[in-house]
Amino acid sequence: MIQTFSTWLHSTRLSWAVAGGIPWIWPLCETLHFIGLALLMGVVSVLDLRMLGMAKELPLGPLQRLMPFAILGFTINLITGALFFTGDPTQYIHNAAFGFKLLFIGLAGVNVILFYVTGLYRRVDSVGAGHDVPAAAKVAAAASLALWIGVMYWGRMLPFIGNAF
Amino acid sequence: MTAFLTWVENSAFATWVRESSSLWAYPAILFLHTVGLGFLVGLNAAIALRLLGFAERIPLAPMVKFYRVMWIAFWINALSGTALLAADATTKMTNPVFFIKLGFITLAVANMVMIRRRVFGNPSLDLSPVTGGAKALAVLSLVFWTGAITAGRLMAYFGPVSGAPGLKNKIP
Repeated sequence: MIQTFSTWLHSTRLSWAVAGGIPWIWPLCETLHFIGLALLMGVVSVLDLRMLGMAKELPLGPLQRLMPFAILGFTINLITGALFFTGDPTQYIHNAAFGFKLLFIGLAGVNVILFYVTGLYRRVDSVGAGHDVPAAAKVAAAASLALWIGVMYWGRMLPFIGNAF
Repeated sequence: MTAFLTWVENSAFATWVRESSSLWAYPAILFLHTVGLGFLVGLNAAIALRLLGFAERIPLAPMVKFYRVMWIAFWINALSGTALLAADATTKMTNPVFFIKLGFITLAVANMVMIRRRVFGNPSLDLSPVTGGAKALAVLSLVFWTGAITAGRLMAYFGPVSGAPGLKNKIP
C-alpha cells in the first residue's frame, strides 16, 4: 500500500517540481528546514535547560510564551519535510534512518502531549524565579532534549544509513 | 594556494573524514555541526525574539547564562566545520558561497558579542524598556544567522559542490 501511494505521489506534478523540475524549490526547502530546526531547538533548549536547572532566575510562565515559535519551527519543518518526501518518496520509504526519524518525532510529540494532559504544564507554568520544577518535569525536559537531538541525528543519517539526500 | 589546499585535502585526517565508511567520520561530524547550529542559532534567536518584545514578561538578565551554551555550540561548530572544510578543501575554498557563509558568521558572532556587552552589560536592564539600539541588534542577529544558514545550505547546490555522498548529481 505504501508502495502504491508513493508511486502515485511520485507521479504528481508537485513531486516533479520538488525533485528538480523547478530547480530552486529543493534548496529553498532545505534552507527553510534548517531555519525551522533552529527555531524549534531554540525554544526547546531554553525551556528544557531552564527546567533542568540552568538560569533558574527565569520564571517558567513567561518562558512558556515562547512556545508559538517552537510550533512555527515545527510546522515549517513538517511542510518542507512533506515536500522532500513528495519529491522522491522511494528514497525515504526504504530508509531505516527515516523510520527512526519519524519514530523519534512521534515520541517527542507524545512527550509534549503528556506534558499538557497530565497537568504538568500548569504546574510548571506557576514555577517562579529561583524555584525547581517538579521532578516529573525534569524527566520530561531531559527526554525532550534527548529526543529532539535524536531527531537531528536520524535526519542527518538519511544519506548515510539509508540512501536519501 | 591550490597546492596547499590539495595537501590539506590529501592529509590522513581529511582523507579519513571524507572517505572512511565509519559513521564516526563524516556522518558524525556533520551531525555535530547540525546540533551546534540548533543550539547556537536557536538560543540567539530566542534572545533576539525576547528583545523584540515577544514573551515580554521574561526577565532578560538571567538569559545571559545561555551564552555559555552558545559558546560551547559555537566551538563545536568551529571545530566540526574545520574538519568538514579540510575534507573538501579544494572545493569549499573555491566556492564563493562558502565565503558568504563565513562573512555572515563573522557578523553574527560579532553581533552576539555586542549584545552581550551593550545589552546584557547594562546594569539597569529589565528596569527600563528595551532600547531601540538593542532591538536593532536583535534584528541584525536574526538576519545574520538566517544568512549563515542559507549560505551554508546553498553550498550543497551552487559552485563546486562536495559533501554528502549521494547528494552529487541528484539535484540540478
